[in-house]
Amino acid sequence: MSRTGIQAGSFLALEGVDFGFDGVHRTVDGVHLALARGEVQGITGRSGCGKSTLLKLAAGLLAPQAGRVTVGRRPPQSAREDIGFMFQQPTLLEWLTALDNVLLPVSLQGRPDETQRARALQLLEQVGLADLAHRRPGQLSGGQQSRVALARALVLQPSLLLLDEPFAALDALTRETLQQDLITLCTQQGRTVLFVTHDIAEAVFLADRVSVMDSGRIVDTITVTLPRPRDPALRGRPEFAALGARVREALQRNIAEPHRPHRGAAGHTTGVLT
Amino acid sequence: MARPIVSVLLLALLMAAWEWATRHLGLSALVLPAPSRIAQSLMEGLFSGYLLPHLQATAINLTLGVALGCGFGFAVGVAMAESGWVRALFMPYVVISQVVPKLALMPLFILWFGFGMTSTVVITALVCFFPLLETTLTSLQRVAPERLELFRMLGATRGQTLWRLKLPSGLPGILAGLRVAVMLGLVGAVVGEFIGTSQGLGALVIASQGSMDTPLMFAVLALISVLGLVAYQLTLWLERWLLRPYAVEPSQCPDERYERSSP
Repeated sequence: MSRTGIQAGSFLALEGVDFGFDGVHRTVDGVHLALARGEVQGITGRSGCGKSTLLKLAAGLLAPQAGRVTVGRRPPQSAREDIGFMFQQPTLLEWLTALDNVLLPVSLQGRPDETQRARALQLLEQVGLADLAHRRPGQLSGGQQSRVALARALVLQPSLLLLDEPFAALDALTRETLQQDLITLCTQQGRTVLFVTHDIAEAVFLADRVSVMDSGRIVDTITVTLPRPRDPALRGRPEFAALGARVREALQRNIAEPHRPHRGAAGHTTGVLT
Repeated sequence: MARPIVSVLLLALLMAAWEWATRHLGLSALVLPAPSRIAQSLMEGLFSGYLLPHLQATAINLTLGVALGCGFGFAVGVAMAESGWVRALFMPYVVISQVVPKLALMPLFILWFGFGMTSTVVITALVCFFPLLETTLTSLQRVAPERLELFRMLGATRGQTLWRLKLPSGLPGILAGLRVAVMLGLVGAVVGEFIGTSQGLGALVIASQGSMDTPLMFAVLALISVLGLVAYQLTLWLERWLLRPYAVEPSQCPDERYERSSP
């Protein structure tokens, strides 16, 4: 993809972004990334390759040590209400009902009004939880909790959605259902989405482009040529399998390199230990 | 349902054995009075109105002491959890004061606050202060980092993060600390009354010792236990009431039947 510069009109742009936690190793190393409005980009790579850090940089949760991050020409910190973030875990507040959890981003800015409550209820309905809006997280299954988290990420109607391995803890079937929900709620509404995943099929199913990361760098990018709208039947098609194989091959090729920098190996070790 | 009955039966059996032992083993009533003597002493004390002012005094000492000690403990705990420099400043003193036996300070408090209620309330408050400070501090610091990140992501202010995330997250831990504080507070109040005042159940224990009225001493000990049980139960009720939103009824536990199938 665009290593040379940022395409005009890109909505989310990371330009030469560096970040390290300790000043010695760079967790994210000179990453260029540009997403036009409505584009969906997946990032994959093994544990400790820096993909979650990259997402936090895009969200403005971390500040880059070099380079620049912009969301709609603004730094992400000042575009907060335009960014929805979904964490690895649902991260719901157990003392609030599903509805109040969805409304949390709204209620932190003031008392939710009727339109906002209606929107939250509608989102819960779209993820199939209309009947469970007044349940608390402890009364919901893992898949239901992830749906509440998805609805919460969307309640402020953000233009950009960032997802950090959002469905990793779910069983395969629930995960596929949620991926379909995500497509319905985001990509068909023109939202820009950047997500991190370990699941090659998930990356191919959701994304327009899949980037492979290793040792803080984007080492390969595969364009997903599948048509939209995408539906579950796509998973059985040979093109789908072929694209999955290409991503897998890119992962293996880049990660099996013998001259990998030492910091990559160190990152991997911590990944295994934790 | 069967278990409470068994427990009550065991109590009755122990009481009967105690009664039998005091009558047939020739134990002096000064050492171990029979349960019937204790009950008699208790009833007399209650109906003559002799015990009630003392019970009331201890209840007030305990309530005020717990309220003050827990209030300050909570406030300092929040301040220490929220501010690094407050924590750095006070932490050594907190650690040191943990090992100082607080009850040993009672003579000093009598010197400072005089013989009477104030000294007892202060010692009760001091005893309650540390458990609440400790649990508040650790509960607020133990908030999951993902949740803090969520609140940062949502642009929450520091006050919002404290009020809407850290305090609700830490509430179960803080309330567990309150339970400990109330129980320790009762010890503080009674031991404070031993030497600090002439009103209260603790003072009455010492008085009955002085007059060698062992049945009365046992009667007062029984009252102290009842007071402790009531205080504990009230704390449990408060805890249950505050933690209502956290409760998951077993009948409504996670149920995959509600999982939606693929559209």
